[in-house]
Amino acid sequence: MIDLVNVSRLYHRGADEIHALERVSLHVDRGRFVALMGPSGSGKSTLLNALAGLDRPNSGEVTVAGKRLNEMSEDELAAFRAHTVGFVFQFFNLIPVLSAVENVELPLLLTNLSKAERRQRAETALRVVGLSDRADHRPRELSGGEQQRVAIARSIVTDAELIVADEPTGDLDAKNAEEILSLLQTLRRDFGKTVVIVTHDPRAEKWVDEVIHLDKGILLEKRPGGAARGAAGATG
Amino acid sequence: MKYLPLVWRNLGRNPLRSFLTAAAIALAIALVCILRTMPAGLDAVLASAAANTRISTHNEAGIVYSMPYAYLAKVRSVPGVVAAISWNWFGGAIDISKGVEFPNFAVDADGLAEVYADWGVDPKVFEDFRKYRDAALVGRATFEKHGWKVGDVITLQSTVFPVTLSFRIVGEVPTNGGSLYFQREYLAQALAAAGVQFDTLGMIWSRVDDPDRVGPVMRQIDEMFHNSEAITSTETEKSFIGNFFSGLKQLVTIIQIVAALVTLCIVFIAANTASMSIRERVGEIAILKAIGFRKQTIFTTLLAEAGLLALVAGIAGAATAWAMLKGLQMYATGAGPQLGPLTAFIVSRVILVQAVFIAFFIGILAGWVPAFGASRRSVAQTLREVF
Repeated sequence: MIDLVNVSRLYHRGADEIHALERVSLHVDRGRFVALMGPSGSGKSTLLNALAGLDRPNSGEVTVAGKRLNEMSEDELAAFRAHTVGFVFQFFNLIPVLSAVENVELPLLLTNLSKAERRQRAETALRVVGLSDRADHRPRELSGGEQQRVAIARSIVTDAELIVADEPTGDLDAKNAEEILSLLQTLRRDFGKTVVIVTHDPRAEKWVDEVIHLDKGILLEKRPGGAARGAAGATG
Repeated sequence: MKYLPLVWRNLGRNPLRSFLTAAAIALAIALVCILRTMPAGLDAVLASAAANTRISTHNEAGIVYSMPYAYLAKVRSVPGVVAAISWNWFGGAIDISKGVEFPNFAVDADGLAEVYADWGVDPKVFEDFRKYRDAALVGRATFEKHGWKVGDVITLQSTVFPVTLSFRIVGEVPTNGGSLYFQREYLAQALAAAGVQFDTLGMIWSRVDDPDRVGPVMRQIDEMFHNSEAITSTETEKSFIGNFFSGLKQLVTIIQIVAALVTLCIVFIAANTASMSIRERVGEIAILKAIGFRKQTIFTTLLAEAGLLALVAGIAGAATAWAMLKGLQMYATGAGPQLGPLTAFIVSRVILVQAVFIAFFIGILAGWVPAFGASRRSVAQTLREVF
């Protein structure tokens, strides 16, 4: 599903050069739940942005769902994101003037679906995340956990193959964080999505199939997560 | 069209700000609409005030310079001239400390009814004017302003001649703004009693029998006095009044320039508001781009916000201008006849459509730069900066 080969990303901050990623190579199979972990400034979000088509590396190759992102124009990348990637961010990032169901419907505005079809799919996505009864509420009327569920519903409404989440539990309490991680695992398990999250949250390890550690832009370690160990235990 | 609800909702994000911006645009548009009625309105006023067979003869040096009274007889003898009368500025004041409150003229009684047959004055009134040496005809505005009645006697002290005269009001001139007219003979006798010679006139107004003969008659009059002590200049009433209004037209031009500058200021205000509104939600815009909105889509929706707000404001402004002038017209034709000329100032459909387009253009112009900037921002960089 995801193939990164020798990906490097360099930023300029004033006169300083910041090596956010240095020759990172990574392969993630379809239907895996992967956590990118590491200290602040380790390059986790940069790596996530690169594989989600939000940012272009200075060198190296990024291939996602069979598409080589390096060769795409900005509009092609936008179309790639619209069809292939679902996004979840730390601060929920819903549009405050739209209701929950309208927020979920947003990515569908980029499709040729009719208004009725868009609404139907948005309601289905809200049902998947357990928020059917909150469809008409504005974001300010929802709790943090509920807002993040709406964001997850928005990420799956286009039936994207890849779900990327940047600190999805970063602004949630323990109970809500567990629920969100459980929901992301459900997406992987029941819907076959490939899920990549960036997190500082150690609780995430038990839900994911694989943990990838980065530091100072270098991929340090790949190890199985709790879900993979559990599965191995169950089969072993 | 599917983005319209999103655009509309974003306008409602900060209702007070949207309202104030729209109000500023609407006010500017209303102002533009009203000012745009002025050139056509002034032309209409001129057309309604001027008869096409009435001509004016005055000293070529200017209307403040007099001419010999003997000119009147010569003008009356020109073929095609049906009637002619002289005018002299009397400059009479009710209270000399307040100055001249309304124009007043000494005119010839003979020929007045023929020269001003379009005044709408009853022939009986013209007859009274001829009959009574101290008779006065008063324009409706002045008549109503002072609450005068037919039969009232008023006294005017001249600021031009060393006399004070009392006048008996014999009637009003319904179609005239507010001037007072009295017999030249009355003034001549008063001046003779005071030992002042009075053998000049300020202006001659003549009626020509056929509109097609107006040009030749005017030429003939001026040729007649070409080598005399006071060379004349004859023009049609419309041209004469138009010269009076020329200063006003220049003022209207200046007002229109000011209105254009005000409109430009509104563009800057609207641009600043659009810029603030967009800057407040760079994060949201970055999210939209992240989920696949192309920069052209972002640009178009942001521009549509500014355009839609300005369009609504433009419609409101144009409607306000239309309602204001309509209301004034209704008042002028009813309770306030002194505002009669205002009925000529009409917000036409063309002006309304132009105003709405101007408003839309203001919105597009104001939204262009901030929308363009926001649509081109890098998603990853914005996400790093904002979150």
